[in-house]
Amino acid sequence: MRTERAVPVDYDVLVQADRVHSALYTDPVIFDEEMEKIFHNGWVFVGHDSEIPGPGDYVTRQIGYQPVIMSRGKDGRVHVVRNRCAHRGNKVCARESGNSKVFACPYHGWVYDLDGSLLDTPQADGYGAGFDKSAHGMVPAAQVEVYRGFVFASLNHSGMTLDEHLGRARELLDRCCDLSPEGELDLTAGWLKHRFKANWKMLPENDCDGYHVDFTHSSFMSATDSQAIDLIQSGAEPVVRDWGNGHIEIDFGVAYRKRGNPFEWFGRVSASKLPNYVKAMEAHYGKEKANEMFCGGPPHAIIFPNLFLGELNVVFYYPVSAGECVQLYTPMLLKGAPEVNQRAIHQTEGAVGPGSFLIPEDVVIAERNQAGLAAQQPEWMDLSRGLHREYQQDGLTVSHMSDETVNRAFYRRYKTAMQRDLRAVT
Amino acid sequence: MVSDQLLRQISDFIHHEARLCDESRYTEWEALWADDGHYWVPRAEGLDAEKQVSHINDNRRRIHTRIQLLLTGTRHSQTPPSPMRRVVSGIVVEAVDGDEYVVGSNFILLELAVQSTHDMHVWGGRTTHRLRRGGSGWLMAAKKVVLVNADEPIPNISFLV
Repeated sequence: MRTERAVPVDYDVLVQADRVHSALYTDPVIFDEEMEKIFHNGWVFVGHDSEIPGPGDYVTRQIGYQPVIMSRGKDGRVHVVRNRCAHRGNKVCARESGNSKVFACPYHGWVYDLDGSLLDTPQADGYGAGFDKSAHGMVPAAQVEVYRGFVFASLNHSGMTLDEHLGRARELLDRCCDLSPEGELDLTAGWLKHRFKANWKMLPENDCDGYHVDFTHSSFMSATDSQAIDLIQSGAEPVVRDWGNGHIEIDFGVAYRKRGNPFEWFGRVSASKLPNYVKAMEAHYGKEKANEMFCGGPPHAIIFPNLFLGELNVVFYYPVSAGECVQLYTPMLLKGAPEVNQRAIHQTEGAVGPGSFLIPEDVVIAERNQAGLAAQQPEWMDLSRGLHREYQQDGLTVSHMSDETVNRAFYRRYKTAMQRDLRAVT
Repeated sequence: MVSDQLLRQISDFIHHEARLCDESRYTEWEALWADDGHYWVPRAEGLDAEKQVSHINDNRRRIHTRIQLLLTGTRHSQTPPSPMRRVVSGIVVEAVDGDEYVVGSNFILLELAVQSTHDMHVWGGRTTHRLRRGGSGWLMAAKKVVLVNADEPIPNISFLV
């Protein structure tokens, strides 16, 4: 799959402080390098442990180009293994999800344990005494770690722990989970899947971009009564924030908290419609802390490179090629909060997915963006907005909600990843 | 179960509704809905809409919002609207429930994504209408569309399906 070039791509030239080169969106060689360096070696989001609650539960996913299985072993541990038979390469598990004691290859019947180790080869007398079963397993990801239910893996080796990768952005995942009175999420409402013809980076870039909303979403703005309209039209209250390591956020919570109205972020639902949730949260966190969370709500943030926490939606991507991507969405359900969850499902249907009110606009704009890039001049994508007005707060770079601080942060991390010489590491 | 004459009336309505969708005649389409109408595009047959997320799960109010969005002229994902034609076939009255008729049909739909890629998308699926008499003819109390590829990665479906 990997294409080599005689002269390596120089990311110092292509990714600069205030602009990136449009080849990053169109060049298949660069795309291959992204898959290798960012997706096959770095930490990526694979799924959530609530999707595989019991031993033998599994879902099939993709990391970059590579099909994988995320499963729960008999010991309760989460495994991520490549979905490939060690014998002749058949995709072992064809189903999207299920429960199984073992994984059996449909081609010649090789049987694997949930952690990928080879249990049985049919008609085993065909192999000599020297055949080493332990050398013929389904190959697991080099690193698999779970943070508050979010399963991340690095197929080869990222060179860092998940803790180092997430850094301070753990706080963003905490903010989601803490909205549950049990401190846990359930991602069990199924995934909506969306295919679009644009480079995968267009959507993470766009997800924390506060500049496009008035225009891309003008139909939503003019046809609905949205809390976002007030926030955006009220000016500079929300901010964007660089959490380090390419993790970025547009923080509407700043504005919500200033207003002090609970659930403004949740379709402005009245607290009286969620009595059991309010009670459970107050019992767990105390009145004051609970109220603070009711006002601030969940984050709107990207965990580099492929996870988007979009209020009560969890979103992730499979890049397909330089010009095509698949994006998946599910509502973030809060354990112990059925009143919230019923509304959350409905809000997800309104906001994200191919038939919703918001994301189809982002997707069609991304497709037109990709089409526009075919006009090769000017060569650069400008990312200079707000450079002059960024400031430091709690050790993080912060700026106006419409500033490209977030895109610059994404690309700083991107450049670091792309400049890592993997041959030197392995 | 129903007379030929009634089946003819029902199938005329189904074809008319399909044509309004194909031609993005938003206001006329909205007028076909009963006040308690429900427009549903689940990810698969047999899913519980309260527990599983759907592509589209509009109550009457949200149907109105959907149409309002399309009428702004800046719903970029349908600006311009996709030219479409569908073939509807196999119309059957599956059940009579009080004064409502549950009507099943299959469709194949060609959609040209003129607003972006200019790709021709082929869609297919089964529609279940719940119809009742009202206004000057029939009204839709419910419309459920199960796309053949509902649980696969699909392009935008912001047209009327």
